[in-house]
Amino acid sequence: MTTEVKRALLGHFLAALAYRTQKALRDAPADFGSFRATDGVRSPAELVRHMTSVLGYARTHFIGGHYWPEALSTFDEEIVRFHDMLGTLAQHLRNGDALLDGMTEERLLQGPFSDAMTHAGQLALLRRLAGAPVPPENFIVAEIRPDRLGRDQAEPVSPDKVWPEAPEDWRA
Amino acid sequence: MSTAPQPGADDKRELLRHIVATLAYRGGKAVSSPPPHFKDFRVAAGSRTPGEILAHIGDLLDWALSIATGKQIWNDSTPLPWKDEVARFFAALKAFDSYLASDEPLAAPPESMFQGPIADALTHVGQITMLRRIAGGPIRGENYFKAEIEAGRVGADQSSRRTEFD
Repeated sequence: MTTEVKRALLGHFLAALAYRTQKALRDAPADFGSFRATDGVRSPAELVRHMTSVLGYARTHFIGGHYWPEALSTFDEEIVRFHDMLGTLAQHLRNGDALLDGMTEERLLQGPFSDAMTHAGQLALLRRLAGAPVPPENFIVAEIRPDRLGRDQAEPVSPDKVWPEAPEDWRA
Repeated sequence: MSTAPQPGADDKRELLRHIVATLAYRGGKAVSSPPPHFKDFRVAAGSRTPGEILAHIGDLLDWALSIATGKQIWNDSTPLPWKDEVARFFAALKAFDSYLASDEPLAAPPESMFQGPIADALTHVGQITMLRRIAGGPIRGENYFKAEIEAGRVGADQSSRRTEFD
């Protein structure tokens, strides 16, 4: 398998992560970052920091060293740092930078990239538990582009017209 | 959607098979040995139960196969007993992976599969994992970097050599 092809697909995966994370965060209640579902479950701010951490860990396989992000003072700052990390990691992929210590694209995908995607799903679940659920959509036609990794993500192309679990005030 | 082979298409299919195997590994761990009554654990009004989420993952994988074959169809299934739904999960993974491993054309770009049903399924695995913690039966953390995940290994028989931590 050619490295270039694999990395392009990994870049697309990161873009999907940016899109889904923003979908889970867009129009969230002001205090969502500190929402605690129950003891032992990460808050949204802690989850986003953890997502940054696993992606930063992935980056160490390009640059060496260690990465352990300290908690930032606001949820907004955590979100900005997450998207910055996405962009930095994607740039390593685009540059064709060598992976260190025998790391492979497959292991990046099965490890931190997939980790982060599972946590994006948890953010969406926490939205529901916080009383502000995220409307469903058909993601296969979503406008997801490898060069769009920041907070400014597209609105859904194909939002679901039927949402059985919708809150009472929802309108398609 | 075009079925004409694109440059690097086979390479992309191989990476798609790897993420399918990743889903089998991670999903298999999330659904294994759940706490009692976990299938019907509803954490809040309007929230899906784990049984409903797992059935939805099965629907997503069936949908993925239908997209791959060019005969896209969606079906909302009724959740099965947990053991049967787990078996359905692995059967759907196997069916999808077998198609990807074949010489049959892929009727949609791998990018669409990644951003659609595969990413969806991964997010739902994360939700089952979180619900396990809320329900009092968390799974152990793991360094998935080191997990023995390989394309084609998509059944319930996943590697037991794991780098786990609490």
